[in-house]
Amino acid sequence: MSDQSHSLPRAKIQKDALSLFFWALPVAAAIMCGWFLLHDFVLAGPSITIYFKDAQGLQVQNSMVKYRGVEIGTVESLELAHHGQDVAVRASLHRSAADVARQGSIFWIVRPELKVGAISGLQTIVSGSYVAVQPGAGGPTNVFNGSTEEPPPPIPGISITLLSDDLGAIEPQSDILYRGLKVGSVLNYRLDDNARYIVVNARIMQEYAPLVRVDSEFWNAGGINAHLGLFSGLNITAESAQTLVAGGLAFATPEKYGAPATNGAVFFINNKEDKTWDDWNPIIPLNTQPESKKTKNEWPQLNAQ
Amino acid sequence: MDKVVACGTCGLVQEVDGEVPLGAVVKCARCNFQIFHRRVDSGSRTLAFSLAAGILYFPSNLYPIVTAEYQGQSVQTTIFQGISSLWHDGQYFIGGLVFCTSLFTPALKILGLIFITLTLNWPRFKKTRAWIYKIIRIIDPWNMLEVFLLAICVSMVEMGEVATVHPGRGVFSFAAVVVLTLCGTLTFDSRLLWDSAAERKKYE
Repeated sequence: MSDQSHSLPRAKIQKDALSLFFWALPVAAAIMCGWFLLHDFVLAGPSITIYFKDAQGLQVQNSMVKYRGVEIGTVESLELAHHGQDVAVRASLHRSAADVARQGSIFWIVRPELKVGAISGLQTIVSGSYVAVQPGAGGPTNVFNGSTEEPPPPIPGISITLLSDDLGAIEPQSDILYRGLKVGSVLNYRLDDNARYIVVNARIMQEYAPLVRVDSEFWNAGGINAHLGLFSGLNITAESAQTLVAGGLAFATPEKYGAPATNGAVFFINNKEDKTWDDWNPIIPLNTQPESKKTKNEWPQLNAQ
Repeated sequence: MDKVVACGTCGLVQEVDGEVPLGAVVKCARCNFQIFHRRVDSGSRTLAFSLAAGILYFPSNLYPIVTAEYQGQSVQTTIFQGISSLWHDGQYFIGGLVFCTSLFTPALKILGLIFITLTLNWPRFKKTRAWIYKIIRIIDPWNMLEVFLLAICVSMVEMGEVATVHPGRGVFSFAAVVVLTLCGTLTFDSRLLWDSAAERKKYE
């Protein structure tokens, strides 16, 4: 028997498939862990640091970073920086939004705000404050200086500077009116370096930019103008309900108008409207474009990664 | 092959008459459970189960168990955060219990099983292996407490309108750890503890 068995073919002895199946379990577990790690470290978006003067309302792990109303990241840590002069907000961005981490991006904190003429950030009363971003167009970076207030959306148009003796009722976002129609808005104001004027920066929408000419006259349209005359009786004028509460500026352009105002043009604001400006009725072709070609805003495109 | 076999379930020692034919299994005369001389491939299967559990132990503790969304805020909680918040709330007993059943005993069990199965062929540490196996059998019922943890999660999900609770990555890993460690002890044949290398050859 044993002699014969040498001439017979040898049986294969191999591992049972079932026992190999059991060893697939640790392999599967390792693959799962590897996938988690890949997801967290390789596919994760960048982590950015934003320095704010005041981070009130932000919470670690809870507060979001939002762009166009969509969550694009989470606040990971809050700590004092620069010897207590700033708060460093460290946030991790989602991969899809990694491209907002570039130079020129403006970050600000959205909190509930109640101002004359404008209520904003109402949803943050229940959901908590969040960090909003307006992406810039520069190269990639990870460190930003946060803005204290929301930057104006980049509306195409021209920027002009207005000088006034008195601030009056002008507020950021106050309207600039032409014949009572809103053609632009006030961005911000400050006292000039020698404290002689109030310097108001304003923006006129692209479409209406030709209305502003070098010889245009601006006046303060906020509040009520009351005039008591002996024969005309009491005469009360107000530009609009909006300017009544929020303040505003109006302008008129003479019939024989000059060159169009360019970016950075400077005008003085008159305290009152001159009667003769009312009669000006110039014919100015506007920058009208077909509605489809109009760009609502110029926020840069983000590159998908 | 030995004629005399003990049932692993009820302990009855019985005789097996003749060769077991192909496709047949041996059942206990008293409790009708299947009996083995030694469980098939027991050591390496237990090692596989406990290695898988050991690998998944890390994500189960590092990743959040639940992500609760409450009025626009999302709160992620890992097991350890849950324990420390219980501890800070003054719930020392519950916190300690959850720590023991969710963190401590699974780790002890996984390490113990890996140690036993890796050192089975060593002539040394025979007593140590028996001791470790005893400890594993003692702590085993306590691991089942995780069922209650899951019950708490479910009751949170039931809040529905007020808060949304998403299971995190951790809870899946955690469930896998529970099942894998359970399988690890079930497949382990305690008779391997006293088998010498020569005896094990005989039963293969």
